Amino acid sequence: MTFRLTCPVCGKRDLYEFTFGGQDRGPRPEQEGLSADEHFRWVQFRMIPGGMGAGEDAGPRAGGQGQLQHEWWYHGQGCGVWFRTTRDPATNREVKDGGGEG
Amino acid sequence: MAVGRGDAAGGPPAGGAAGPAGAAELRPPGGRLPPGPTCRVDFSRPLDFRFLGRPMTGFGGDTVASALYANGVRIFSRSLKYHRPRGLYGMEGESSNTLMEIDGVPNECAETIWLRAGMSVRAQNVRGDPRTDRFAFIDAFDRLMPAGFQYRLFHRPYRLWPRFQNGLRRMAGTGVLDLWRNPDRAVPVGRGTARDPGVGARGAAGQGSGVRAEGAAGQDSRGQAERYLNTDVAVIGGGPAGMAAALAAAESALRVCLFERRGWLGGHLAWRVRECEGEPLYQRAERLAARLPAGKTALPTNAAPGIVKVFTNSPVTGVWGENLVTGFTVGGEDDPFRECHWECRAKAVVVAQGCMERPLLFSHNDRPGVMQAGAAWRLARTHAVSPGNDAVFSVAEDLGLEAALDLADLGVNVRAVADAREAGRQDPELVAALEERGVPFLSGWAASRAIGRKRVTGCELRSLRGPESRRLPCDLLVANAGTQPRVGALATAGARLAYCSHTHTFQPAELPGGVFAAGSLTGLRDPRAIQASGRLAGYRAAEWCGGAVPGIVPARRECESLPGPEPGCDIRHGPDIGRGAKAFVDLDEDGTYKNVRESSAQGFDVPELAKRFGGFGLGPGQYRVTGQNLAMIMADLRGDPLEAASPTTVRPPLVAPSLATLAGPNHEVHKRTPLHAELAARGAVFRQAGPWLRARYFGNDPRTGPATADHGLRDEILNVRRNVGILDSSPLGKFRIFGPDALNALQRVYISDMRTARHGRCRYSAMCNDMGHLIDDGVVVGDGDGDYYFTTSSGRAGSTVEWFRYHTRYDGWDYNLVNLTDVLGSLNIAGPNARRVLQKVTGNDVSNEAFPYLACRRIVVGDGVQARCLRLGFVGELSFELHAPSSCLQYLWDLLMEAGAGLGIQPFGLEAQYCLRAEKGHVVIGAESEARVTLTDIGMGWLWDREDTVSGKVGAPALLACEKQAGRMKLVGFRVEEAPGSYRDGVGPDGGRMGAPRDGAVVVDGGEIVGHVCTTRRSDTLGWRYGMALVREEVAVKGGKILLREEEAPGRRVTRSATVVSPPFYDPAGERLRA
Repeated sequence: MTFRLTCPVCGKRDLYEFTFGGQDRGPRPEQEGLSADEHFRWVQFRMIPGGMGAGEDAGPRAGGQGQLQHEWWYHGQGCGVWFRTTRDPATNREVKDGGGEG
Repeated sequence: MAVGRGDAAGGPPAGGAAGPAGAAELRPPGGRLPPGPTCRVDFSRPLDFRFLGRPMTGFGGDTVASALYANGVRIFSRSLKYHRPRGLYGMEGESSNTLMEIDGVPNECAETIWLRAGMSVRAQNVRGDPRTDRFAFIDAFDRLMPAGFQYRLFHRPYRLWPRFQNGLRRMAGTGVLDLWRNPDRAVPVGRGTARDPGVGARGAAGQGSGVRAEGAAGQDSRGQAERYLNTDVAVIGGGPAGMAAALAAAESALRVCLFERRGWLGGHLAWRVRECEGEPLYQRAERLAARLPAGKTALPTNAAPGIVKVFTNSPVTGVWGENLVTGFTVGGEDDPFRECHWECRAKAVVVAQGCMERPLLFSHNDRPGVMQAGAAWRLARTHAVSPGNDAVFSVAEDLGLEAALDLADLGVNVRAVADAREAGRQDPELVAALEERGVPFLSGWAASRAIGRKRVTGCELRSLRGPESRRLPCDLLVANAGTQPRVGALATAGARLAYCSHTHTFQPAELPGGVFAAGSLTGLRDPRAIQASGRLAGYRAAEWCGGAVPGIVPARRECESLPGPEPGCDIRHGPDIGRGAKAFVDLDEDGTYKNVRESSAQGFDVPELAKRFGGFGLGPGQYRVTGQNLAMIMADLRGDPLEAASPTTVRPPLVAPSLATLAGPNHEVHKRTPLHAELAARGAVFRQAGPWLRARYFGNDPRTGPATADHGLRDEILNVRRNVGILDSSPLGKFRIFGPDALNALQRVYISDMRTARHGRCRYSAMCNDMGHLIDDGVVVGDGDGDYYFTTSSGRAGSTVEWFRYHTRYDGWDYNLVNLTDVLGSLNIAGPNARRVLQKVTGNDVSNEAFPYLACRRIVVGDGVQARCLRLGFVGELSFELHAPSSCLQYLWDLLMEAGAGLGIQPFGLEAQYCLRAEKGHVVIGAESEARVTLTDIGMGWLWDREDTVSGKVGAPALLACEKQAGRMKLVGFRVEEAPGSYRDGVGPDGGRMGAPRDGAVVVDGGEIVGHVCTTRRSDTLGWRYGMALVREEVAVKGGKILLREEEAPGRRVTRSATVVSPPFYDPAGERLRA
């Protein structure tokens, strides 16, 4: 539950200071030629790393055991930066890029 | 005997050593034992209190339970289901037997709450006196209430269920919360009500002495507090292991926080007089405690370079991710708080919470008089209260034997001691000492039933192997099945528990990183081994924090050289348990051995299922008293080995803080506008809007006479339409954005083409989210050279920076965004006379030609205040908005009020603004827009720059997708048809302005709900009722009829017919704002 996150500016801080910005799904898709369905999936669909099953399909059941989640966080009660971090959703802990606890 | 700091109002004694100082001249009062060296009660401080209106006296250092017991109270409450009499079972607050109503607060734990003068104590779940409870007959009908009966009976016919439910709720349960009681409002002394004799009683108690008169405050008027601590090592438990761990960790110059639940350090050694290495155990504990700083201030210890901060009266509620330890501190008399919630972020945690007793299951094991060994022992040793005259012990480990021996030495007639273990497994020294005192000792025996209807009058002991039995008269039956570790903190930290066939307890098998266990909870019993294990854990915690710890090797060697965990006893229940209908596994929920078997027989055969079905461990005691027994019995019933058993999940809070403590101290946090004092002086009624406190209306101005029925709203509204009104709009979000990519960022988040935001012009636009919903609107003004000024709605001001940066986070754009919301105040003057007022205070030309509608100018007001002036029309009149430094706002207000004095200027509030804008059909986010409708649905699609597909406008793809979608909801205006004369001006509490149908009424069509009313008002300007509604597309036909329906009161429906019209309702051509 109450884990900590490493802000690139302020360092390790309590979760209370941050706002979750969702999974890192990459930049917004180009609007030119974007179908309604593609847009809908980009807005609404999430991976579930560590969840059931696995697969390339970005459906709600995608992902797999032991996968890490790349996500965005906003340091609203601090410096106000948006940053990317990687967490293990099974333990909630931040992990370093090469593995191991951050 | 001096314990604590001589506090007049009682309260918890401070940490520190107990001692016999001054005890000699004070003879203990009647019913009390002579105070020994471990006594914590101060007989020089009598405290008067009342139990059910009966006056009683306790002493400083008493808990409510020990004081009641000393005054002869044996029945404390009635049980949840069967209304069986319940007495003092433990002293650690681990069962609900002694939950009581104290000073009107229900479910207070009498075992752990310190007695204060003037307390009014009442029993719970009782009709009348707990000794003669009117519902006591229910106990005879236990056969009608098998496990899970509440899930299976009474469900058919369904309409009768509420009756059964209410009946059950009346007869069962614990305390009743008085929702109307305000704990912060002191009750005047002597003005008690008949319902609470205690309140009146405090007036009488106040006559006694000055000390007690002060204590007559009775109810604690202090509030709650919260603290956020940061430390290297957190130690949970202030017994020998915890103290040793804290001292060891401090050797490495670390910061240590030690949390102890009781009011003093020492753990279970604090009441033991047995000698170890030629020194009584309590002295050994005192010696350790003396090395730690007394009290709560951080002081370096004499031996260690680190800092140890000791928190007494501080139970831990849980250990969370990354070693966050949470708990609360009960305030001592010099603390400014009643209870303080704290959270302590630690690098490493040492858990040394010790053990608790495992209940022995036998018939009527819940009778008042059946007690844990530790409870009887502590009553005598800590509180100088004799637990009974004739005692029988049925225990399963050496601590129980030591308790029996000690109580015998204190004058209790111990008639027999049964030990469930086989002969030869006891400490021979203790057995010999018992024999020396002539106490019959029976190994391999245990209690099989308690005798007595309301209190224990005798008991039956039986051999666990043969048919022999004995009946003994007694008024105290001390019974346990050995001890179980207090694993709560470890379990919440994420430790895996496993059954240990050596100690016969659930031991931590795997600990999470940075969490260490020490002391008797690991099965150790030898005081030296307990202390050594604490020291080792302290060193290991220090090592986890970083750096080499040389002490770790000798400490480990010392632990290995001392006795390890002692073998435990695996007794599940007393001999001859039979069906076990009256053998209670769970005292809180009246769960019997028979109920466990019933659960198991119906397939709920593992603890987690049985817990939900039969309620075992769902009560206030949670897993604590019940946990291990339930797991062992269920394994037996399934035929599984005990190694396969697993207890139920431990959930925080491990000890319950009051809800007020969890709610925290600050409930009304708000920002005030620069004009707050001015508005308040003018009789403004405020409400919280987002983070701000804003003026709703000014109807209660004492200078202009008594409040009118509609709070003067009518006057505020009409004055804006006829003369000029002034509004404090400071909470409006105000921002500056500049830099090479500022325009790109604006193009991204605003739905319009922001290249049209030109110098000196207000460009009105809106922000959508990815779903195309309107989330914000405001104006953008170009200041030239990539510099822009924009406003947001006051609710969005706080999240605008986050929003901009989120939606540009992949782009690496170069722009700066400055939140000016608090730096700049804002005033709005609106009405036909607005220009004349403004022209009086500025030298700039504000004529319609020089300063047209939607223009933005920098003007100088009064004696040189630089203000940005925006000509807008939210309320539908000629209106100017002045943005100026917050510090100048009062000056501007005075200036404008003076200039407008002859022109009818009057302040107006949020409510008037809300009505005025609704007459213009302007939307308010959250009122007319919501998560089901897009920008186009609410008729604002004209803002959307649909040609732009390259800026990546947030929400544009969604708007495109929804545009042609069928079956969407649309925003429409309507005019309610009123019979002539049905509206009477100024009637009703709101002056007839609102009345049914109100905001939120449903729109019906042929018996089907097709939408809802967003806003509706009866317009003072127009003279008719209008409104806006979100309705299904097919109903949104101009000129069509809709029906508005509202349940005004239960069973009283109001239906009105209305015609769909297009907003704006007022000044459709917009001539007034361009005038």
